[in-house]
Amino acid sequence: MLEISIFSILALFMIGGSIAMIINRQTVFSAFGFLVAMIGLAGIFALLNSQFLAIAQIMVSVGAVVVLSMLTILTVNANGKNLPDEPNKTKWIIFSSVLVTPFTILLYKTLTTLPDHFSTMETINSKVIGKELFSEWVLPFEILSILLLSAMVGAIVIARKSKRKQRRKS
Amino acid sequence: MTPNMFFLLASILFSIGLVGLVSRKNLFVLYMSIELMLSSVSLLLATLSKVLGDASGSVMALLMIGVIASEAAVFLAMIVHLYRENRTIDSESFHALSERENNA
Repeated sequence: MLEISIFSILALFMIGGSIAMIINRQTVFSAFGFLVAMIGLAGIFALLNSQFLAIAQIMVSVGAVVVLSMLTILTVNANGKNLPDEPNKTKWIIFSSVLVTPFTILLYKTLTTLPDHFSTMETINSKVIGKELFSEWVLPFEILSILLLSAMVGAIVIARKSKRKQRRKS
Repeated sequence: MTPNMFFLLASILFSIGLVGLVSRKNLFVLYMSIELMLSSVSLLLATLSKVLGDASGSVMALLMIGVIASEAAVFLAMIVHLYRENRTIDSESFHALSERENNA
């Protein structure tokens, strides 16, 4: 019973945060909604007995990704006329929600064909994850490290000021 | 507490992300919607890992967090670049790779 109430609170946080994310006009408030959703997701990972995943979610998604996007939003600081004007935003959101609802129901119906009970297993702690990660999943892990490196280099190259524009200015 | 609740939550989050992706024009909101969809998939993987009693799903969710982080780095760098060139974050105002003339 306690688990169900905790799950309901976390689910409400996540859904409310994500709805606030897509409704708000000011980008910073959207980022706050996203932050709430990510913290709720970490809580749900902890509820699923995978503590290591919850900690990783807090450290990477909340600590790095959301903070980085907030820093970018505050650096770009688009306000007033720089923000896109969306006069029919509410209409579009309602329209696309109506369109997406059958897809949601289909997805849920498909997923409920799986067994409706949790298997009795020990908690998925860092020991289990570490053994699995470095025996069976070691190749995806290495590919992921290369992906992170190339993303870092690519981000630097993309965000650098172009030389052509600098020359034009001087 | 049954897996169906988690499945329902993951479906709802994915759909909210999809709605945000198709109905908004702000680049930051598009970015956060994509992140939300990826996160809902990682929630699904963690749930399946518990349903099947296999830790592989959790490992995949962990790798997915890494993919989300790299996607965030590239996407945010791209937004900064686009804003520096065009002074706007409206996703409809970018015509650099478009075939027709830049009539915006």
